[in-house]
Amino acid sequence: MTGAILAERTLEFVTFEYAFAARALVASVLVGALCGLVGTFMVLRRMSLIGDAAGHATLPGVVGAFLVTGSKAMAPLLAGGLGTALLATWVVERVAGGRRTRPDAAIAVSLAVFFGLGLVLLSIAQRSPTAAQAGLNGILFGNAAGVTTPQLVTLSVIALTLAALVLALVRPLTVATFDPSFARAAGVPLHLVRAGVTLALTLAVVVSIHAVGVVLVAAMLITPPSTALLVTRRMPSALAVSAGIGAASGAVGAWISFVVDGVSTGPAMVLVASAAFALAWVFAADSPVRLPRRAARVTS
Amino acid sequence: MSWLVEPWTWGAFMARGALAATLVAVPCAVLGVFLYLRRMSMLADALAHIALPGIVVAWAISGGLHPGAMLAGAVGVGLAATWGIEAISRRARVRSDAAIGIVFTALFAAGIIAVSTVARDVHIDTDCVLFGDLLAVSDDTLTLLSLLAPASLLAVVLGWRWLAVTSFDPRFAAAVGVPVVAVHYALTTTVTAVAVAGFEAVGAVVPIALLVLPAATAHSLTHRLTSMVAVAVAHALLASFGGLYVAVWFDVTPAGAIAVVGGLLYGLARIAMRVGSHTLVAGSTHTPGPVDAGRSVA
Repeated sequence: MTGAILAERTLEFVTFEYAFAARALVASVLVGALCGLVGTFMVLRRMSLIGDAAGHATLPGVVGAFLVTGSKAMAPLLAGGLGTALLATWVVERVAGGRRTRPDAAIAVSLAVFFGLGLVLLSIAQRSPTAAQAGLNGILFGNAAGVTTPQLVTLSVIALTLAALVLALVRPLTVATFDPSFARAAGVPLHLVRAGVTLALTLAVVVSIHAVGVVLVAAMLITPPSTALLVTRRMPSALAVSAGIGAASGAVGAWISFVVDGVSTGPAMVLVASAAFALAWVFAADSPVRLPRRAARVTS
Repeated sequence: MSWLVEPWTWGAFMARGALAATLVAVPCAVLGVFLYLRRMSMLADALAHIALPGIVVAWAISGGLHPGAMLAGAVGVGLAATWGIEAISRRARVRSDAAIGIVFTALFAAGIIAVSTVARDVHIDTDCVLFGDLLAVSDDTLTLLSLLAPASLLAVVLGWRWLAVTSFDPRFAAAVGVPVVAVHYALTTTVTAVAVAGFEAVGAVVPIALLVLPAATAHSLTHRLTSMVAVAVAHALLASFGGLYVAVWFDVTPAGAIAVVGGLLYGLARIAMRVGSHTLVAGSTHTPGPVDAGRSVA
């Protein structure tokens, strides 16, 4: 691609010449910020790979809902995805709770089986003669340009509500994450917090599938928070940095996907977030803020 | 029983698919047991995904999918990813589980972008990434798999003692001079090589299913290492052939069907063990205790 075409398309993108590009930008930024916010708690609670399993596990629910209703209406698809993703996290807890399977294997077991089921259903959907299934592939790797206005409204309402809830509950969530025994003594219901984080994480995954896709949504939950935790050590700033990196990755990813033919939004967003992590990893290397507390400087 | 025999009469594709599935399933099951025992099952997820960038590297080297280039690509990205995960998780402020997620998603995203832009003529599209094409396996894939599967099994046999001791007690292994880090790199690179070789046939998901489900099933049923490997191989073969039949009879993707059948077999094993332990100690509340390192496997 020549520079001229690149510049021309960039101009089209930043001036919102096409409504679909504007919708793609808004959806990607919202989803990036939400994932960064929710993902921070997930990463700190060492639930990162549960997010990966939940992301993959939305596939059977979304495709199953499509097969049952025969339409791509947003509500049933999201409900289906939410259902199977929650079921998958429940399976992880159940399988890991049994003593015969390692907890890390429990996540992989759940991911493989749910995603396998999703592929089976998807291959049935692709067989159907109607053209309605076209575009269902978009949820695999994200196709933010295909987001319609009603979808964007639904997505925004869910994302903003979820973000507001997380911010309202930020203190008990933080205490429960860093110091569970103190939190319990202070009357924070720990099992409710855990269930709440799992639900928030699953909801974030489900609203992200149109922009990021089910396969790579975990990256948007893991990479921006990990970057934030490299460069800051206070929870409020970690949340802000993480959401900021997520939003910026969404914006740049949407732009890349718009100007370069054939690139889906999901991989583009993820690569931008990964580049941000790489930069932070290199340049935060000897920064004194890396040391968790003064005592660590003495002992290490 | 004609439903068992009939698909084989429809053409060579069934035999070729079964051969490819077997050549992926057996090494995956064996290697997966060691990943499982090392509590690295989620690394299976990562290594299966990075098969895609491995193939892109192979394409960049040779301009096609030459088996030698595929192996070189697999070894390259396998080593790079293992090193990357180690290097990132060594930093105290990055969670080790997050490190896995950061590295493989970045490589996978790069691979997806490559196959959908510059590497379009590699004839691996995003559909192939997910589904593979088990019922239309290419000669190159079959050749590569039939060399790699025995080679990886031979490597496991030769390195058996090292693999076993580093899996159960890495500190003891290091103390007696076993190269623990080299064994770790060799294991992850072999897994990547099998995933890359099988990629065109089964996609990215089947290797995860065949690395993790057989080992988890075997661990529910037995505690000895050799019998774990045997049960895991049996599970992987049953899942592969079961999945293949489901795929041809219900006209669905073999990749997904293998994962689902494998999951059902795992569920059955768990139920069988629960029922078995209840009948053996009828009326008592005894349940099998947590498996401990001293007694046997794990």
